[in-house]
Amino acid sequence: MGQDGAFEFHATFAELGEGLDVLHLSIERLREATGREPDDRPLMLFETALGEIGSNVLTHGRPPGTERPIEYDLRFERGVLVASLTDSGPPVHEHLGREMPDVDSEAGRGLAMARSLVDELGYERVGDVNTWRLTKTL
Amino acid sequence: MEAEVPTLCHMLVASKMSLDVQTRQTDAGVAVIVPSGRLDVAGAPALKDAISEAVKSGPPKVVIDMEGVSFVDSTGLGSVISALKQLRSSQGELRLAAPNQQVRVVLELTTLDRVFPYYATVEEALTGF
Repeated sequence: MGQDGAFEFHATFAELGEGLDVLHLSIERLREATGREPDDRPLMLFETALGEIGSNVLTHGRPPGTERPIEYDLRFERGVLVASLTDSGPPVHEHLGREMPDVDSEAGRGLAMARSLVDELGYERVGDVNTWRLTKTL
Repeated sequence: MEAEVPTLCHMLVASKMSLDVQTRQTDAGVAVIVPSGRLDVAGAPALKDAISEAVKSGPPKVVIDMEGVSFVDSTGLGSVISALKQLRSSQGELRLAAPNQQVRVVLELTTLDRVFPYYATVEEALTGF
């Protein structure tokens, strides 16, 4: 952690279990570095959203034959937490506006949940690369 | 001049099972399923398998003890909804016990708290079941 209270974490990964472990580890490191309690609600909400987007990226972001790993960055500065995830999966524009499904549905909640848990959920497609960006003031 | 920001880099982290699941049966014949770890996209299959096994070989009354679940995501929730459907199809019942704050928030956010009334402890969930 820097003198101004900033925190930065970077990782690359390719496998589902490994990737999820790293995402949660990064939040744990941030929690430790900033002295936040385990039940800190804003950080818990952010971690939940990060888990949703991370699951999508890890499940769909590396089609067979993909060599590029998933890039992950987490940065906390001046009270604002920003995570970005970059993958090589297919474009997902058509899923971005998905609403919360009814209670009997077994799938399809991830994006709607993530949107509601952070201040801003950004998505950008450049070439064949997807970049997700989650922002929340803690 | 800006302070230098240290960067933590983790290129390789050993993958580990995100969820361990154990099952026991009470004297009253209720299956208590005890997942431990993260109930997420990686861990959900283990819970689904345990529930399928409990429904196949035991009574259609199941309590999922969530005390050891540190984190749930939408896929993990999906596995619980799948369990509920299985149990309803055999006139069974499902109760959740001891969810932590993160699990409760996710249940409320998705309005699934109306479908899964949760109990503070396993003992409470078993009362009158």
